[in-house]
Amino acid sequence: MTSDQEHSERRARIVQGIVDETGVDDAMIKTLVHTFYGKVRTDELIGPVFDRVIKDWDPHLEKMCDFWSSVMLMSGRYKGNPMIAHMRLKMVRPEHFERWLALFMETAGEVCPPRAAEAFVGRAQNIARSLQMGMFYRADKFPPRAGQGAP
Amino acid sequence: MTFVVTEACIKCKYMDCVEVCPVDCFYEGENMLVIHPDECIDCGVCEPECPAEAIKSDNETGLERWLALNAEYARKWPNITAKGTPPPDADRWKDVPDKFAKHFSENCGSEDNDDKSRAA
Repeated sequence: MTSDQEHSERRARIVQGIVDETGVDDAMIKTLVHTFYGKVRTDELIGPVFDRVIKDWDPHLEKMCDFWSSVMLMSGRYKGNPMIAHMRLKMVRPEHFERWLALFMETAGEVCPPRAAEAFVGRAQNIARSLQMGMFYRADKFPPRAGQGAP
Repeated sequence: MTFVVTEACIKCKYMDCVEVCPVDCFYEGENMLVIHPDECIDCGVCEPECPAEAIKSDNETGLERWLALNAEYARKWPNITAKGTPPPDADRWKDVPDKFAKHFSENCGSEDNDDKSRAA
C-alpha cells in the first residue's frame, strides 16, 4: 500500500510547487498578517468590530499566521472552527466583509509579489464568501438552539 | 461554497485530507469520509492532498448527488480530526468504478480514531 512516507513526500512536492510558483513562505505570511491587521485596527468601519471581539492582539496575530500557514503551505498548524466563531458575531454585516477583503487585497498588493498576492487573495475571497454563506444565507440549515423559538 | 467528497474515496479512505484541513470539517464513515458543507470554509487545501482525487469543489457541475450525501452523512457520522490507518487494500480500490452502488457503507467510522479500535 501507499506508505506514510510516500504521502509525506507527495505533500512536500505539492507545497514545494506552491512555494516555487508563488514565493509564499512563513516570513511573507507574517508580514502580510501583521501589516493587514495594523490597517484593520485603524479602519473606521471594521476597526471597532475587531476591537470589541479581540481583547489580546498578540495571540490573535499568531493564530492568523498559523491559519494562513495552514491554508497556503498546508502546515496543519491551525485547527479551529472559524464558521462558528463568525456566526456568533451578530454585529457583522456583508459590508464588513467587503471592507475586510478590500484591505486584504490592498495589503497583499503592497507586501507580496504579484503571484503570491493573487494566491492569497483568491483563497481569501473563497473563504470570505463561504463564511458569509454560513452567516447570512444559510440560517435555515442551522436549527435554532435549545430554548429559542423559530425566528 | 464547499468542497465535496465523491465516490473515489469509498474503500480508499486515505485520510490525508484530515491532516491538512484547518477547520476539522471531515466526518468518518466505515469506508468513506464526507465534508460538512456548513463547516467547510472553501480553503481548498484538501483537494490536491487526496491520493484518490475524490475531493471536488462544488463549483463543478454534476456534484449535486455527492453534495447531498456529504450533508446527510456529516450529520450522522462522527467528526474525524486526526488521520487513522487507511485500509490495507486502499491502493487496490483506487481506480475501481461504481464503488458507491456496490460498496458504500452507511455505518459510522471509529469515533476515537484509535488504531487499536480500528483493527478490532
